[in-house]
Amino acid sequence: MTFPLSNEGNPVPSTIMTVDDSPSMRMLLKAALTDLGYKVLEAEDGVEALERLGGVEPDLLITDINMPRLDGFGLIEKVREQDRHRNLPILVLTTESSDEKKQRARSAGATGWIVKPFHPDKLAAAIRRVLH
Amino acid sequence: MSALPRPSDGLTRITIMQGETRISDDPSVILTTVLGSCISACLYDPLVKVGGLNHFLLAEPGSGDTDIQSLQRYGVYAMEVLINAMMAMGATRSNLKARIYGGASLRDGFRDIGATNALFARRFLRDERIALVGEDVGGTGARRVEFRPTLGLARCRVADTRPVEPARLRVAPPPPPASLGDVEFF
Repeated sequence: MTFPLSNEGNPVPSTIMTVDDSPSMRMLLKAALTDLGYKVLEAEDGVEALERLGGVEPDLLITDINMPRLDGFGLIEKVREQDRHRNLPILVLTTESSDEKKQRARSAGATGWIVKPFHPDKLAAAIRRVLH
Repeated sequence: MSALPRPSDGLTRITIMQGETRISDDPSVILTTVLGSCISACLYDPLVKVGGLNHFLLAEPGSGDTDIQSLQRYGVYAMEVLINAMMAMGATRSNLKARIYGGASLRDGFRDIGATNALFARRFLRDERIALVGEDVGGTGARRVEFRPTLGLARCRVADTRPVEPARLRVAPPPPPASLGDVEFF
């Protein structure tokens, strides 16, 4: 890889909110994103993410699809209803890979789709692409 | 996977191979697998009577990524596939109970792959607050596990006390989606 992988050196680190019902997955994501120099906020499902989004403005949302209470599709739709988050990039990170589900996410307003298990270099490249 | 009906007990045995996951809410099904250093997690929800089993090794098949973070990412993925399938059949995360089997000792340089697999499985269940109600891990022999998914009952027998065949990190078992880690922009 020849491109820089790090966010280090930016005067204000970008903030990323991760939404996943699995504590193990949230820990893995936090480790990877922190290594890349990003500030990480976490929510364990769509409902908690919406609550947290009422008080913060992250630069990027990374969300799972299969979650209790409010799933990733529902979360994306609700976020897009809010003017202040209309331009917030949203990356879906999921074990799912069917075209039907990708199409649903796209219609709901997702920016991109990443299949688990994530690869740190590919994740970093995707984040840079939507943040810059 | 193959289904072999045995007329003697009227139950259908389904064999799960490395890299596969299978769930069922059929009381006449037995999920069975043979493990060396690999791990099987048997999960079940006693309220909705659905259960499932996976069979995995902590490595992304063919990737050569064997650092600890890559191993964890793959293990978490293998567990999430099983948990998502259970939830799609009506199970609730907080009701889940788990049994783990396998993780027989295999030395590969300095690392004991079986022990690493077993440690991962225990830690994952603890982090996810999924109750571990039974386990038979470690040792040096291969195991045969039979799991009744609707009852949550398992039988585990050490099939052979000779050291297990080395699992091959770089020989790909049935892989996860070919699009593993891939990114698609809309």
